[in-house]
Amino acid sequence: MKSASRLSRVAVRDFVFVLLLASRPLPVFASDTLELIRSRDVLRWGADAEGGAPYVYPDPQKPEQLIGFEVDLAEALAAKLGVKATMVQNQWDQLIPALERGNFEIILNGLEITPENRQRIAMSRPYFVYAQQIVTRKNTDGLTRIEDFGGKPIGVLSSSVAQRLVEKISGVDLRIYPGNVETFRDLKANRIEAVVLDLPIALYYAKPDPGLKFSGAPFAPGYYGIGARKSDASLLAALNQAVEELARDGALERIYRKYGVWDERQERLKDYQPEAVPEKKSISTLRDWPKYLPLLLRGAVTTVELSLLAMALAVVAGLVVVLVRLYAIAPLRWLARAYVEVIRGTPLLIQLFLIYYGLPEIGIRLNAFFAAILGLGLNYAASEAENYRAGIQSVPPGQPEAALALGMSQWQTLQHVVLPQALRVVIPPVTNDFIAMFKDSSIVSVITMVELTKVYGMLAMSTYDYIGLGLMTAGIYFALSYPASLFADRLERKLRYDRR
Amino acid sequence: MIAVEKLVKSYNSTPVLRGIDHAQNRSEAVVLIGPSGCGKSTFLRCLNQLEIADSGRITIDGVTIEGGRIPRSSEERERQRQLRRRSGMVFQSFNLFPHFTVLQNITVAPRFVKGVPTPEADARARQLLAKVGLENKADAYPAQLSGGQQQRVAIARALAMEPQVMLFDEPTSALDPELREEVLRVMRQLAEEGLTMIVVTHEMQFARDIADRILFFDDGLVVESGPPDRIFSNPQHERTREFLSKVATR
Repeated sequence: MKSASRLSRVAVRDFVFVLLLASRPLPVFASDTLELIRSRDVLRWGADAEGGAPYVYPDPQKPEQLIGFEVDLAEALAAKLGVKATMVQNQWDQLIPALERGNFEIILNGLEITPENRQRIAMSRPYFVYAQQIVTRKNTDGLTRIEDFGGKPIGVLSSSVAQRLVEKISGVDLRIYPGNVETFRDLKANRIEAVVLDLPIALYYAKPDPGLKFSGAPFAPGYYGIGARKSDASLLAALNQAVEELARDGALERIYRKYGVWDERQERLKDYQPEAVPEKKSISTLRDWPKYLPLLLRGAVTTVELSLLAMALAVVAGLVVVLVRLYAIAPLRWLARAYVEVIRGTPLLIQLFLIYYGLPEIGIRLNAFFAAILGLGLNYAASEAENYRAGIQSVPPGQPEAALALGMSQWQTLQHVVLPQALRVVIPPVTNDFIAMFKDSSIVSVITMVELTKVYGMLAMSTYDYIGLGLMTAGIYFALSYPASLFADRLERKLRYDRR
Repeated sequence: MIAVEKLVKSYNSTPVLRGIDHAQNRSEAVVLIGPSGCGKSTFLRCLNQLEIADSGRITIDGVTIEGGRIPRSSEERERQRQLRRRSGMVFQSFNLFPHFTVLQNITVAPRFVKGVPTPEADARARQLLAKVGLENKADAYPAQLSGGQQQRVAIARALAMEPQVMLFDEPTSALDPELREEVLRVMRQLAEEGLTMIVVTHEMQFARDIADRILFFDDGLVVESGPPDRIFSNPQHERTREFLSKVATR
């Protein structure tokens, strides 16, 4: 493994390099990337190994080692360039921005040759012919064409070709997933009726599963190509030549047969003629805000709904937890304490996965919205319980003593004396959590909820206007959080009783 | 009306009360004196169940609680509340509820513990405020009052539950000297009206004025007791003499 310092030094150097490239026109630098790769003796290729079979994935027998047809292909390509290949892990739907930032020189990870992609980056001649495949449960009838999908919940991978195809069918309840393992889980859990995805993925994940079937024939064929920065013309030329040689000398066929993804379509790779690339037109979402802002606002509605309901749950559940922890009998007290510690000590992401994908295995099936509220709410409940505990313990012991001495019961003492005084102490941290909830709620996109950040990501993917959309999205988040702060300020002032 | 038998209490195996016996009649005013840490406050706190005695027995107005066990069953808890309702406690640090107005401080217990309707509770509270000289402070918050005023409200709050006996735990110790007199005046008046009370205090002149009986506490025991004249002018025990000479020269 590389040392971290070496890695960051390389990253900084490349980042500066990319900055220079970005200040076009400087074509003299462009030819240097290939030289750089050769002098460094390493071709860095970006890919996502998470759920990446059969492209790039950890070997089930030796999980520390990556395998897949693209791993073999990267090595073959690097060998043609006379260098070694190094894979750089990167989330799939962020591969293009990472390439532009200079995290690696090429993308080699099932990147489709589409007009959208070719406007943004340079793409090599194709190294694989893919098609789309519909997968359903064994006992599902029909749904052999995407045109049959109206009104049905359908799963696709985030920013995949399938997403773009199914989005166009009216009335489809589109569910967007970060990884393909989750799509098949939800398909088997009856949460969705079909999954549309690239054939190689279907071959690896769905074909061996007796509960699933391929529905209809593969359709909408297309090409995977290697992505490179537009300025790296010499690298692209070298890659094109390497791919062509690998196609003609049978190396591609050997690799693809090894992973079971070879079919007769791949014959087309040998004689591919590239079409003309349309010139990249830049989109300003800020100038076109009437078109984009409503889409973002619709996502914001989901964010607000989620945050309000999850916070309501957290505020109530947190109170129950803290009361049990402080006043119940011993075994219940330990349980409440354990709850707080376990929830605080484990990532929210894992908790959401367990609730959404884990609970169906024991027969509890929640839809994404309720799973999101439950996950966020129960997570924040632990934090609220701790806030309350700090508040309750900030009330001087003389206060409950005075109440008990007046003959009040334990519960009356809490209700009339302790909790009202704790409330004032508790408001600032709870408001803080509420504001954090607006932002944390973006994590629920991993269980297919489309909220504000997810809408931003989807729009940014298709327009590449990260800055314009980012400003609008940040503005919406701020417009949500700031009133919450103001409200808390007012509430806090209203509850002040130490005025003179 | 009050009977305490062999009351024992330790904190972490340090004995604080080592077998207190005490009997008190209705309308009797008893003042506890003694050096700091001798167990006077703990005695009061045991009487109204803020501390649970290790052993012994407390009876107030026919309600008896045995020491040695924390009340768990609902019957035991009810008995504990009955005992508490028979005694009113006034604390050194007032312990008014800062989030309530003066009036609410006084009415909260009658309303929620006894179920007195709010208008009645309010009217009674205003009478009590008049008695302690604060009728115009009903809507003030505790933080807006001086220490002496707060302590007078605390007395009214305890009286509102109509206890059989009032327990005063160093009620003037946290006050500046010029504020003490207004609290002592109220307590004198209560004693004259024949309220049963037990007062822990370091105000010797006050003790002499109001007490029917003085109890001298030392090291967890009642060393000496008797009418104030005898205790102050002719103490029988060496330790009493020693203590009184120290307070006198202070």
